[in-house]
Amino acid sequence: MINTIVEFENVTKQYGDQKAVDDVSFQVKEGRIFGLLGPNGAGKTTSIRMLTHILVPDSGSIRLYGERVGAATQRKIGYLPEERGLYKKMKVGEQLIYLCRLRGLSKEAARKSITYWLDRFEATEWIGKEVDELSKGMQQKVQFIATVAHDPQCLIFDEPFSGLDPINSELLKEVILELRSAGKTIFFATHRMEQVEQLCDDIALFNKGKLVLNGNLSDIRASYGKNSIRLRFSGDNKFLDSLENVRINNRSVHFAEIRLLNGADDQAILREAQKHTRVEGFELIEPGLQEIFIDTISKEKTSDV
Amino acid sequence: MFDKEKLFLIIQREYLVRLRSKMFIVTTILAPVIMILLLVLPTLVMVLSSDHERRYAIYDETGIIARQMTESDSLSYRVSESDPSELREQLQAGQIEGYILIPHEVLDGQGNAAFYHDGSAGMTTTSKIRSDIRQQVRSVRLDRLDTSDEILAVINERVSVDNFTVTKAGEEADTGASAIVGLIMGFIIYGAMFGYGTIILRSVMEEKSTRVVEVIASAVKPFELLMGKVIGVAMLGLTQFLIWAVSGAVLMMAAGPLIAMFAGGGVDTAEAAEAAAITIPTIGPMVWVSFVLFFLLGFLIYSSLYAAVGSAIEQESDSQQLQVPIIMLIVIPIIFVMNVADNPTSTIAVVLSMIPFFSPILMPVRMSVISVPFWQFGGTILLMVLTFIVLIWLSSRIYRTGILMYGKKASFGELWKWMRQT
Repeated sequence: MINTIVEFENVTKQYGDQKAVDDVSFQVKEGRIFGLLGPNGAGKTTSIRMLTHILVPDSGSIRLYGERVGAATQRKIGYLPEERGLYKKMKVGEQLIYLCRLRGLSKEAARKSITYWLDRFEATEWIGKEVDELSKGMQQKVQFIATVAHDPQCLIFDEPFSGLDPINSELLKEVILELRSAGKTIFFATHRMEQVEQLCDDIALFNKGKLVLNGNLSDIRASYGKNSIRLRFSGDNKFLDSLENVRINNRSVHFAEIRLLNGADDQAILREAQKHTRVEGFELIEPGLQEIFIDTISKEKTSDV
Repeated sequence: MFDKEKLFLIIQREYLVRLRSKMFIVTTILAPVIMILLLVLPTLVMVLSSDHERRYAIYDETGIIARQMTESDSLSYRVSESDPSELREQLQAGQIEGYILIPHEVLDGQGNAAFYHDGSAGMTTTSKIRSDIRQQVRSVRLDRLDTSDEILAVINERVSVDNFTVTKAGEEADTGASAIVGLIMGFIIYGAMFGYGTIILRSVMEEKSTRVVEVIASAVKPFELLMGKVIGVAMLGLTQFLIWAVSGAVLMMAAGPLIAMFAGGGVDTAEAAEAAAITIPTIGPMVWVSFVLFFLLGFLIYSSLYAAVGSAIEQESDSQQLQVPIIMLIVIPIIFVMNVADNPTSTIAVVLSMIPFFSPILMPVRMSVISVPFWQFGGTILLMVLTFIVLIWLSSRIYRTGILMYGKKASFGELWKWMRQT
């Protein structure tokens, strides 16, 4: 049986008249990568801040390892905020030791862990430098080390890839998957769908403070069936505009993902495409997360009316 | 309520980071240098400018007063060869700075001497001239009356007054020149409230604008972070005072021999040391203890206000409007400080010195001049402690909301809203 690590139960948080998080319930299972998705302002960061006990919910309860969130649960988490921040005038080594010790590590244990992680990120020679002297990318790495160095069971990353170059993104992805194999539970908030598709086991989709979709990512995609077309072509793409009962995602000069609506005929679209262009690829696929996201939110809208 | 271990770590960081900062080293060295310069500069200027001669010409109808005055102080006076109208012309032409007319009648107890000058003579000069003339006139008149030496001795006798304060416990403490000490203490605390308050404000603001505060807040309570910061900076302040006190004491011990050295071999070292020590008023230990106490409590009160402002802003230029009430609270006692030093027992002095925002500056001033009744001292301490508890509680409510609010410059209304938020 898989343990529940994080449990939100009817959680609501309000700023003035605005409900930032509105009656949200979901669970995160042990050893999984859980994606918290949604556009900006959907309530992701507020949810995370409540999970880290920086904010307190107005109502409902949040549990971590079965324990109500509080000072004790803070030691079990590592948190990488969306807005990165370190003490600028402090040396990398001292800063990392300080942050580890605030989370309950002894000085010795902190030193050992930091040595390992600096080595893992090939950053050992930064130990005596002030954060100010490092480049943005280097600071990001230091911040990541600050998040994981005290060896927490549950890791919370808010937009971990923002501001990273492709090489460092790859390195970070590698490390995240490594952490999952080590049995850590990873809580991952982003609005970048392609990262979620690559990394997440389960997702929760937020829109305007409400949880609109929650579950296993492959189950969700399978439930939509193969109702989308991935089309590659060369030639004039204007014909795409004249198609009816479709929604077009990821459109570019030679490429389009076409979602079939109201039982539109995929073969008819293929014939139409061949009439105007040279078709180089045609494939029936499960919808992408982007499409699922748009679909879910537009359903929400119609149900509101 | 607190996680002691975390609180200790925070205090340690806040203290050590600042102790090692260039800012701390520079202010520790510069502040006393500037202070000494401010104290010494007026004397220095006077000494340096005195080589330009400033002798006043005396036109004397009596024929004796001017001669005696010149004999006793040839640096200040000379007998005039010109008559008053010529002297007046010279004065108007800027050739001399002033002249004195002594009419014949003064020796008969009638008429007044007159001092004409170009406006450069201050109060000190005027009163010196007055007393010099008075003394010479008196001595000439007594001489004419054939006064016996004994009577002359009696007339010239100087009685000095020793100053003692008798406390209820019966102890006597010399409070000679200690109003000065109290004023200096008041001004040091005044500077410290601004200086250390600004350190707190900047520190809170920097943690917010660099966003490091969110990382910290995911590990400790905002209140722990706030208290750790306040305690750490308070310790920094005490360290700075300790450095100044120790180096000050060393300097004073060295002052005697130094003066002897400058005065030349003729003066006995011990005598010179004694002379130097006399200029340093002895201050009861109670005044020192209360100085530290009022500095600490004042710092705690003002740092809670500064922390609230710091949590509401992201850059220092946004702080001005919010800082105005704090600055007013610190400046108001300075307006009254002279009154309080002159009339330390008046109702207004008692009331002002017991208002917790004003106490850090006014109470040490009163305590150095008089022995403040215990109920006032104890009551003030109690009021300050209570004020601090209320303020830090309110401030931490603003703080924990403010540190996570970005983008908008907060107004007083905003702060009020944050304070009431649960």
